[in-house]
Amino acid sequence: MQMMAGLTAGDGRERGHASSGAALDLLRIVRINEEIKRVVSVAFKINIMALNAIFLAKRAGNAALGFGVLSNELRVFSKDLRESMMTLTRLIHESVAEVSVILQESRQDELFRRTAALRPDDRQLAVVLDRRDRRHAEREERIAVLRRELRMAVDDAARLVELGGVLAKSAKIEAAYGAGFATSLGQVSGEFDGIVEEIRASLDKLRHSSFFGGSA
Amino acid sequence: MKTTQTIFEDGSHKWTAIVRDPARPDYLIDTNEYLIQHAGQGLLLDPGGSEIFPAVFSALSSEFDPSKLVGIFASHQDPDIISSLALWLEFNPGMKCYVSWLWGSFIPHFGGTAETFVALPDEGETIPLAGLPLQAVPAHYLHSSGNLHLYDRQAKILFSGDVGAALLPADKQNLFVEDFAAHIRHAEAFHRRWMGSNEAKRRWCERVSQMDIDMMCPQHGAIYRGADVQRFINWFDELNVGITRA
Repeated sequence: MQMMAGLTAGDGRERGHASSGAALDLLRIVRINEEIKRVVSVAFKINIMALNAIFLAKRAGNAALGFGVLSNELRVFSKDLRESMMTLTRLIHESVAEVSVILQESRQDELFRRTAALRPDDRQLAVVLDRRDRRHAEREERIAVLRRELRMAVDDAARLVELGGVLAKSAKIEAAYGAGFATSLGQVSGEFDGIVEEIRASLDKLRHSSFFGGSA
Repeated sequence: MKTTQTIFEDGSHKWTAIVRDPARPDYLIDTNEYLIQHAGQGLLLDPGGSEIFPAVFSALSSEFDPSKLVGIFASHQDPDIISSLALWLEFNPGMKCYVSWLWGSFIPHFGGTAETFVALPDEGETIPLAGLPLQAVPAHYLHSSGNLHLYDRQAKILFSGDVGAALLPADKQNLFVEDFAAHIRHAEAFHRRWMGSNEAKRRWCERVSQMDIDMMCPQHGAIYRGADVQRFINWFDELNVGITRA
């Protein structure tokens, strides 16, 4: 059976490429999702750590008033970060759904292309192919919108993490004024800082994902 | 591309066999599709797998306007029977798919919506095609647990799904069975392994023996006609099925 020969209905049907593009996108989305899962798990850890830090600051009393305030802020940061990740997860799920449909339809498009090669002058087939082309273009547009929304959500999360970094560094400074508790407070604030750096690295990876045109 | 062959014609009432694709890759089982036309409408029987859709569509289109297909009859749920459903629906989204109730929620994985499917009861049902009554005949466990054949009383043709199927060698590709004894050797192992129940087989043989059948059209292999129909029923009745060598 001759493939692609005599195809007349529409030239926007390089769906073999669309199919492999969609497959790559799906792979990239899966990687992004794995990174998001890592951040969510770390954000949950910050929440617990911040709670412990609040108790520690209370025990330290007046010497750790500033540290207590920052621990509260880190708890709020952890909550905001989880909400931010929930937005990302929702967008990821929507993207997976769209890309999966494109993958499925690309498979069918390939069969229709083979049919068109056998019946190059079939008007009904041309109508079906045009309709599928329009549907495909709409889906590609939806993917493009989701890609933009995802990128914006990742940027929002990155800004949030900048704030988290400032809080963690301030907590380190406050820990130094913790008198008898300075060592424990310093240890806790050091862990905060380490974790925020871990999240920052994850988000940097996301921002450079090839899904957004980057190289990662 | 597959070829079409008219096997019955009486005015606007016509049966077309869509068979034998020389370009079919060896790893795909060969299948027969059948188109029943009546008064300008068409019903496609076991339209085949999605991989062979281009070949079946092209052959059918040379014979019939695909937008005039009002329905698809699926003898059972296998992918070589009905995985092309979504592709056919592109030409007529209002098309109905007649299938055993047992597979009503499985086949939608191949395509279609709730409105697409007409669930046929175990005892079968009459399917009208532009006034032509076609009878869905129970053939459960032969081989699928929800399996139906289709009988056209006026044409005296029974579409028998996998019953009567034969895996023919490349040099024996005739549309009709010409030498029953030689042909049935290619059907025996298939029936022993794929047909799951001697009890179901006995009931089917009793049922179809009482029908007036000129042609029995399986989904694989060659068509039985004339005395070979009864020969097949007798042979099948004697065959011990539902067994493996292992």
